[in-house]
Amino acid sequence: MRNIAIPILIAVIFLILVAYLVAFQVRENELAFVMRFGNPVRPITTPGLKLKWPTPIERVQKFDARLRLLEAEIGQTTTKGKVPIIVSTYIVWRVKDPLQFYNSVRTIEEAENKLRSQTNDTQNRIIGQYTFAEFVNSDPDRIKFDEIQTKMLADLSPRVAKDYGIEVKTLGIKQLKISQDNTKAVFARMTAERKRRTEATIAMGNAEAMTIRTKADEIRTGLLAAAEGRAKAIRGQGDAETAKYLEKMEQAPDLAIFLRNLEALRTMLTSGRTTYVIPTDSEPFSLLKKMPSLKASEPK
Amino acid sequence: MSHEHEHKHDHEHEHEHDHDHGPEPAEATQTQGRGGRELDAAGRSLSDALRISFAILKVIMIVLVIGFIASGFRTVQSGEKGIILRFGKIHRITTQPGSVWVLPFPIDELVRIPSDRQINLPVNTFWYRETREDIMGPGTIPRNYRADSLDPLLEGYCLTRSEKSDAQIGAAVQRVVAADANLALAPQSDGSDYGIVHTRWQINYQINNVDQFFRNVYVADVKPGQVYSDIMTQSITPMLRSVIEDAVVQAMVHYTIDEAIQSVDTIPDRVKQLAQKKLTDMGSGVTVTSVLLVKAEWPKQVDQAFAASIAASQMSQAAITEAKTYAENRLNEVAGLVARQLYQGLVDGTLDDAQCEALWSQAAGQVRDRIAQAEAYKTTVVESAKANADYLLSLLPEYRKRPELVARGIYAAAIETILAAADEKFIVELSEVARERQVRINLNREPVKKKQGQQTTN
Repeated sequence: MRNIAIPILIAVIFLILVAYLVAFQVRENELAFVMRFGNPVRPITTPGLKLKWPTPIERVQKFDARLRLLEAEIGQTTTKGKVPIIVSTYIVWRVKDPLQFYNSVRTIEEAENKLRSQTNDTQNRIIGQYTFAEFVNSDPDRIKFDEIQTKMLADLSPRVAKDYGIEVKTLGIKQLKISQDNTKAVFARMTAERKRRTEATIAMGNAEAMTIRTKADEIRTGLLAAAEGRAKAIRGQGDAETAKYLEKMEQAPDLAIFLRNLEALRTMLTSGRTTYVIPTDSEPFSLLKKMPSLKASEPK
Repeated sequence: MSHEHEHKHDHEHEHEHDHDHGPEPAEATQTQGRGGRELDAAGRSLSDALRISFAILKVIMIVLVIGFIASGFRTVQSGEKGIILRFGKIHRITTQPGSVWVLPFPIDELVRIPSDRQINLPVNTFWYRETREDIMGPGTIPRNYRADSLDPLLEGYCLTRSEKSDAQIGAAVQRVVAADANLALAPQSDGSDYGIVHTRWQINYQINNVDQFFRNVYVADVKPGQVYSDIMTQSITPMLRSVIEDAVVQAMVHYTIDEAIQSVDTIPDRVKQLAQKKLTDMGSGVTVTSVLLVKAEWPKQVDQAFAASIAASQMSQAAITEAKTYAENRLNEVAGLVARQLYQGLVDGTLDDAQCEALWSQAAGQVRDRIAQAEAYKTTVVESAKANADYLLSLLPEYRKRPELVARGIYAAAIETILAAADEKFIVELSEVARERQVRINLNREPVKKKQGQQTTN
């Protein structure tokens, strides 16, 4: 038993050592290629357990294939209309072709240096093709921000893919500023605009207030006139209603007029200060002069 | 993380060797035991000691085997997802928290990625530079640092578009300003007028696709003593920040400064949309769950004009409110609550008679008074006519019998009432003698009321 166990053990250890020499792993987020005596021979683009000749013969070069951020330095450039603007561009990139990458730049640091200058170059060139009015515009339809970014990406992407085996996943402008001197002019303009707007606000407010007042007065006048009309109609109704009573009085028009006149006199003269100058020959003051002659009539 | 793993796995590796040894020493004990029956006492005690030590070794090995199996169990916490890599290739992704069993080091590896956890990212890149005094100072005092211009390298801001109507005026102003101050000519006259606004943002994001995230997004290696989620957040923050800033810059040029200051809802939505599109396109597995425009301020340099503008709009609002109050009072005075409705009905002629009558009956105020007066007049007139008629009719039979007497009676009664109420009466004798003379009476025309007034004041 013992005699068998020891060789088995040795065989197992040997196998493990061999496995270490000839096998290697490529992780899901890595790219690699195998070099034979320093010359790249096969790229490895799928993850998993791979085989190669032991170390002195074949070596493995691995690259992290994950997305990395690169921020170009914030810098001043000029637009088509020679307007200075300050932009900062970033790109997100990854190693796409490990062989190409290894041959041209070798390390991430070197790749970043190359990419930075390439990005700056693209940024300045493409921005120079657009006017400032295409970055920001009072008419949103004329803003071409999206187009500018797409164009920058289209400019940069094929070049670095070909030269360095790098894929640029996305590109964007993360700062858009104007020169310090221009900010002064912008502030002056903003202030002027705001002042004009302030005046307009006040004028509009007053106008609206005035409209409200006028409208109210108009309604008031209108309603009072309508009410007056209605009142007149009611009075008319009253006057009309008296007609049927007048009809009744037609039986003795003289008496009716006589009574009406007396009523009028009574109403007029019993209020206020009145002084009468009356001759003594008017009834009943004639009594003051002499006793009237009375005749006792025969009883009927 | 990977260091940690290697450590553990190294141990496990050794155990594995022990395991391979396992059966062999056990057999050895047995053979030795069989031979030891013929040996002397010393040999027997040696063989006993060996047997015991082998037994102990057995137990130890069983424990180690159990330990090895147990050490393959790892826990995936809630809010995490575990990716199990076999030889570096994604073998399986856990769907639920709990235990998973993985093979030892060179074969399997477990990567735990926090998912479904909201991670907060404040973005202050578009805010003005704040000095220590600005931040630490008491309350909301104006910032100390206040230049008349903004240094693009130090101060953060967004550009906003101008309103269309402002553009022409703005361009004219700009020309004047630029000429006056000898400034470099700013972009102008082609609709490129713009404003400057400071903004502050809060972003929440989460990793919703761990597979994509693990494959595509760079996360620095975790060194011993570091927590994966911290390193992960640190690693992805610059990229996320860039994407968000890009989206903010791009979104803000589509809005005016007024929209920004009022924090119009569509601004964060637009930022979220733009950022999410980029993150999705690059296969980051990151979802932006919320974008919040925390604060938007106009630059301090234009503070006065903006403050005045706000004051003006408040003032004009106040004027309008006042006018509205006036209108309400006026209308209430004239016809109460139905004034407007009634007027509208009368003007349009849209109301039918019943509706119109209903409104008239609900009307209050001056309108009500006028109508009430008319009603009163109507009643009075009708009533008095009726009374007169009744009187006449009641008198009529007697009058028919003796008209002279009845008439005279009524006449005398009337004269009596009238003269009794008179203040002064002069009865003048018109004799034949006096016919040629004039009678002069001096009437005191001073109003009685005034006399009374003087008396009371004296």
